[in-house]
Amino acid sequence: MNRAELTPCPSCGSPLQVEIFPAFFKRIAPGRQGESLMVEGESSCFYHPQKKAVVPCQACGRFLCALCDCELHGRHFCPACLEVGKQKGKISSLENKRTLYDGIALSLAIVPMLIFYFTIITAPMALYLAIRYWNAPRSIVHRTKIRYIFAIILASLQIIGWAIGIYFLVTNLNPHG
Amino acid sequence: MTWSRRRSQAGLVVFSSARSSLWLGKDHLLGIDTTGYTETYKRFYFRDIQAITIRRTNRRRNWSLGLGVPAGLFALFAAVASREVVVASILGTVAGLFLLAALLNVAAGPTCVCHLRTAVQTEELPSLNRLRRTRKVLNRLRPFIVEAQGQLAPEDIPIRMHELKSATANSGDQPAVAPRYVVDDPNLPPRIVP
Repeated sequence: MNRAELTPCPSCGSPLQVEIFPAFFKRIAPGRQGESLMVEGESSCFYHPQKKAVVPCQACGRFLCALCDCELHGRHFCPACLEVGKQKGKISSLENKRTLYDGIALSLAIVPMLIFYFTIITAPMALYLAIRYWNAPRSIVHRTKIRYIFAIILASLQIIGWAIGIYFLVTNLNPHG
Repeated sequence: MTWSRRRSQAGLVVFSSARSSLWLGKDHLLGIDTTGYTETYKRFYFRDIQAITIRRTNRRRNWSLGLGVPAGLFALFAAVASREVVVASILGTVAGLFLLAALLNVAAGPTCVCHLRTAVQTEELPSLNRLRRTRKVLNRLRPFIVEAQGQLAPEDIPIRMHELKSATANSGDQPAVAPRYVVDDPNLPPRIVP
């Protein structure tokens, strides 16, 4: 272990390199239990009134016992705020999924061009998505708005193309035109 | 913590393959799996990383065979059909494409599977699928993990392993303590059992 070269696994013989770090030997601390109230009138946990409050939630201010206290990067939250923060993306380090609307808009603008007739539906959709989600969070890592820009340009050109095509179709079909 | 523009401009290296990428953060490694329309994130904090394992695989050999055999066959067909210039050139081009892919596969170096272990999970890192690149990444990561956890001397590992083994054996003798609380709903606070 912690060697720079591959060594055969003693069990299956596969060439293996294992790098172990001190956390491997660290024992997981047992979970804390809420401390029962000893003195009447002492602050109690919002969720467990019989348990002593140790910290307020930094999002909603509710008093929490040791069991309900969820610590995240030095900040204390109650389980409900943690869940809400995760769902609404308010706690960025808990965010684990994002929808890439710029990618969707660009695909909607490009892919249907293979079968051009679809663009009459997809071009307005791409344009709508690009405008609607222009300010929505994009990828968590840096990503420019170039996909939105291309989607808007392509979708606009397709819509203009359709408008011109329909105009000529209508004027040519009209016997008085 | 947000992956800001400032951070990505700070010269932090991206190691990526087609669908997964790894990003180096200030205190964690960020794994991104993308479908093109959604991104899924996994954060591995340096203080939590217990081990990284690299296992060499035969994928390079298999791919080389899978690409080399058609390349040879198409080259053979091209040679047989050498009187038909158009057919021979088409077959030769296809053979060349297969050969190029095989050569690129060989040049990329041996393949591997890399796993990252923490106290609660063992995750495969799909973007680290070539041994050379994986070692490069590991060399880059090591100082960050050492900074967060401290250095572990290779000669200490057998002693620590032995200690861990004996500690686990001792704790196994003791009766398990029943949990004092129940989680009925993950979205609600735990319910304390009296």
